[in-house]
Amino acid sequence: MQTNLRPRRPAAPPSPGGDERAARRRAERRARWLWRIAGYVFFVGLWQFTSSFLVADFIVPPPAVILTEMWDIIASGQVWVHFGATLRTIAIGFAIAFVLGSATGLLMGRSRWWEAFLSDWVMATLTTPGLIFALVTAMIFGLGPTGPIVAVVVTSFSYVTVNVVEGVKAVPRDLTDMARSFGRGPAQILRHVYLPFLAPYFFTATRYGFSIAWKIATLAEVIVGTAGIGFMMRQQFQQFSMRGFLAWVLLFFAFALFLERVVLQRRMRHVLRWRPEVAR
Amino acid sequence: MTTVGTFRTLALSPPGRRVGSLLRHPRAARVLSWVGFVAAWQLVVPFLPTDLVPTPSEVAVFMWNELRMETVAPHTVYESFSLSFQRLGVGLFLAFAIGVPLGLLMGLRRWADWFLHDFVVVGLAMPSLVWALVAGMWFGFGDLAPVVTVTLAAVTFVVINVAEGVRNVPKELLDMSGAYGVSRYATIRHVIFPSLMPFFFAALRYGLANAWKGLVLAEVWASTEGAGWVIKFWYDAHRSQGIVGYALFFIIVAIFIERIVFGRLSRWVFRWRPSDDRRTPEPEATDRDEAVPAAVPAATPGRQ
Amino acid sequence: MATIKVTDLRKEFVTDTSTVVAIENVSFEVGGHEFVSVVGPSGCGKSTLLNILSGIESATRGTVDITEGDRQAKLGYVFQSARLLPWRSVIDNLLFVQSTRGPQVRARCERYLDMVQLAHTARQYPGQLSGGMQQRVGIARAFSIEPDLLLMDEPFSHLDAITARSLRRELHAMWQETRKTVLFVTHDVSEAVELSTRIIMLARGGRLVADLPVELPFPRDPASDAVALARADLLRRFESLDLLAT
Ligand SMILES: Nc1ncnc2c1ncn2[C@@H]1O[C@H](COP(=O)(O)OP(=O)(O)OP(=O)(O)O)[C@@H](O)[C@H]1O
Ligand SMILES: [Mg+2]
Repeated sequence: MQTNLRPRRPAAPPSPGGDERAARRRAERRARWLWRIAGYVFFVGLWQFTSSFLVADFIVPPPAVILTEMWDIIASGQVWVHFGATLRTIAIGFAIAFVLGSATGLLMGRSRWWEAFLSDWVMATLTTPGLIFALVTAMIFGLGPTGPIVAVVVTSFSYVTVNVVEGVKAVPRDLTDMARSFGRGPAQILRHVYLPFLAPYFFTATRYGFSIAWKIATLAEVIVGTAGIGFMMRQQFQQFSMRGFLAWVLLFFAFALFLERVVLQRRMRHVLRWRPEVAR
Repeated sequence: MTTVGTFRTLALSPPGRRVGSLLRHPRAARVLSWVGFVAAWQLVVPFLPTDLVPTPSEVAVFMWNELRMETVAPHTVYESFSLSFQRLGVGLFLAFAIGVPLGLLMGLRRWADWFLHDFVVVGLAMPSLVWALVAGMWFGFGDLAPVVTVTLAAVTFVVINVAEGVRNVPKELLDMSGAYGVSRYATIRHVIFPSLMPFFFAALRYGLANAWKGLVLAEVWASTEGAGWVIKFWYDAHRSQGIVGYALFFIIVAIFIERIVFGRLSRWVFRWRPSDDRRTPEPEATDRDEAVPAAVPAATPGRQ
Repeated sequence: MATIKVTDLRKEFVTDTSTVVAIENVSFEVGGHEFVSVVGPSGCGKSTLLNILSGIESATRGTVDITEGDRQAKLGYVFQSARLLPWRSVIDNLLFVQSTRGPQVRARCERYLDMVQLAHTARQYPGQLSGGMQQRVGIARAFSIEPDLLLMDEPFSHLDAITARSLRRELHAMWQETRKTVLFVTHDVSEAVELSTRIIMLARGGRLVADLPVELPFPRDPASDAVALARADLLRRFESLDLLAT
């Protein structure tokens, strides 16, 4: 008897040349896009089907209704007012957190003593649910924009700190020693050794901190906002308007994704262009 | 040699220097920071313009009373947390029941990956606040909204990790099993399943962290009991020591789960690993795409 | 005592950027109680050949028949790297590839572990062993299923000279005793001359350039003239391969 070790493909076509390979790649790309579009069609279809046949309109409004609602929000200018308010909260809060967090991170990265002194508190703020900060700041500062800003500062601060500490520890010792042995001063070492190495960590910090800032800002606005996306979400929630709620959520999503993907990643690629894997 | 040297300097140094060198030790810094922080908090609060900031002693008294089941809230801390844990358990079970098959499909079939990928990424990035509010609007007050929130908040983490795990099953071990004619069942049980374990762990970790945040929010807005709801209760009652006290309970529970439960479990599951990396089964599964890391809390679960 | 019949074998790896021919037009037949060494420079397709024989890879063209009397030939494969399941203990790794269970199977596994001098590690995990120890577990695993055809991919190259020599003796004794067929990949020319009854030489690009019988009686004394001459001859051919390739 023979073992069935015969090649599974007995006669293969002659080895594909460059053209065929390119063709295969194109075919794969086409398949990928087709499936992707099929995915969108399927989900929108499912949504439409659910809202027209399975449940009432106010529970799952049809996609078209949401789209018109989104368009209304944009056309009426509301979107700018509220996104503006939220963005302001985030920008102010995150700027403060970034400065404080970087300084703290540098301190903790350079000195074991300060690391031991501060790390428990940084970890504590990292593990506390954001809701707690939102509620406490809400109680202390009451209605208005201050509470959300403080909540953003406290939460994104620890993210920045943790990443900067990590970055400082990753700066190769031999490079700083080299720079020192050539008589470079601390400012030059900071500028030419530390900053290039810290840049990716700053960006990670910014990305995490930023996505956290978005979430905490909307959460705080849901509780005490007088304007902003979270405030609008709460309004729609209280009016039980699924339509308005989903429209705001989708707008929020589009905006957050745009900021993170397009704006932040562009910057990142520019700053990190010296790294081979980025330059590709 | 070195011990003798140290001994001599210690013995000969004046008391002042000895204290100084002790203080320079990192452990001293830690103690100092705790003592300093609590003392500063206690001392500063009376001078604040608001009476809404609790002092540490108030918080401690509150927590002690809660633990002795003396509370003005309608449920004790034990009742609230155990209810929340039940909801969490049911929701997580559903998330795995849905997420594991989907993840397997996405890992094994490219078309499924292309079909679902964008939606999974959106799910990962969705704030759990949104899930909580949507579920609240759909299901009203009760158990259903929190459970659904937990499932929605965790399921995408399960999907993405299982899919990544399937793609990472070591091919050379599969080849080896094939060359020796090992049965399909034994291959799944002894090769595929163990190599998926780190990814299951990651799914459980991140999924749990995200689900917990969502659960608390859902309980705030769409429930009348549970740990989250009690926090809202203290907020409405203007008892800030209640909020801070519950936050500390949360942190204690989180540390307990992370250190004791996950730590023990992973040490047992990964007992075959060389001893130093047994405790950190981090596959970094979620870093495959650019999109995912932003959605995954850095190294630290437990944050809205 | 398996019979291998390889006809007109060709294997190419197609990647996005290039096509690599790993085996080109290779035909040979191995019958019965033979010890065949496959030698050739690094990257010439030796591992690929074994992978095709074991069914891990499929050939682009050509056929492979492995027959063993009237039943399925059992293959034991010692891979170039150990390929142990890191989450199973050493003895469990051996049990994993057995087709039957039972106390005598277990005893057999323990016997082969003892042969590679690793009986004391049976309960340990592979991660706790050194690289060479892991490789020896891989050898014990291949022996433990008592295969008809033994495929070995540079099994001794990670080991120190003493261990390698004792395992070589062990392998030789087992081959003589059980009359198995062995296909043995190596780039150590002395090893090939010491053990084989036949040497197949591959050149870069996977072409078969020589198929030489080694008709020297066992045991072969490495210091004897005949063995030294054979080694010198093989070495000369090996070096001329490089000249051809460049
Ligand atoms: N999976 C694969 N995909 C693409 N190319 C491969 C693959 N496996 C092997 N090759 C190529 O096939 C050729 C032969 O590889 P092979 O592993 O058989 O070499 P080898 O003779 O065993 O070398 P060595 O002595 O270093 O182990 C090499 O050029 C290698 O790059
Ligand atoms: Mg090889």
